[in-house]
Amino acid sequence: MLTERRPRTKLIRSDIIRGHLDAIILRLIYEEDRYGYEISKEISSRTENRFQIKEATLYAVFQRLEKNGLIESYFGNFSQGGKRKYYRITLLGKAFLKEAAEEWKETKEIIDLLMEGLD
Amino acid sequence: MEGNERNYRFINGGVRLNQLKKHVNQLFKDIPESEKKEIIVQEVLQNLEEKVMDLMEQGKNEEDAINKAIVDFGDIEDLKQELDVPDPKKNDMAKINLAYSIWGSILIISLVAFVNFYYTPSVIWFVYPTFAVLWWPLSMYYTWLRRKQR
Repeated sequence: MLTERRPRTKLIRSDIIRGHLDAIILRLIYEEDRYGYEISKEISSRTENRFQIKEATLYAVFQRLEKNGLIESYFGNFSQGGKRKYYRITLLGKAFLKEAAEEWKETKEIIDLLMEGLD
Repeated sequence: MEGNERNYRFINGGVRLNQLKKHVNQLFKDIPESEKKEIIVQEVLQNLEEKVMDLMEQGKNEEDAINKAIVDFGDIEDLKQELDVPDPKKNDMAKINLAYSIWGSILIISLVAFVNFYYTPSVIWFVYPTFAVLWWPLSMYYTWLRRKQR
């Protein structure tokens, strides 16, 4: 029973996080212009390694955000592998982020209302 | 807080870069060549390279670091979807269905026409079942068209 339950909750959690990845990554770019590896490192360190993003997923999110005009990219300074590609948030991105934050707050409140008091 | 001052660390990564490059090219081999792809491959390589350097700094040897970076990278299915790579299998299925329906209806129509002209040459009735049968390739054609446009 126990062995069955644990991986399941883990799956649910990663699903919920996946649904908010766009907002999470947008938030990190909102704080300052960042590049890919920096973002994946930041996510790991902020969650104390409890959540690690797969790089492949990260690039998919970049593509989507850029296509929707929420972020823009530019090339920064040189490093060994080539030029780093940095991302900056656009005005539209900021608006989206604000909305996403409110939506998340609302969602959290609703789920709390329905789930609180359980052990 | 830790933005731009990291560049000085990259000293010699020639061999490592080659190995990573091979792997990344393998990962992206299904994606048709384009300028966009080139830019992403460069970006991925650059970031992987930096990750390998970091891992080595944390005490991993070069081979382990490369392997870990590659394993952590994950599966690029989502990325393919964002890049609008059409799923070749599904499109192929639609194509096969269309071809099958065309050949099938030709066969049925010629059979009906043959029966018509052989037994009742004075009455042309084979047109009616022909129209009925034509719905089949027509619907398959539109399914195929829809797949192709997406």
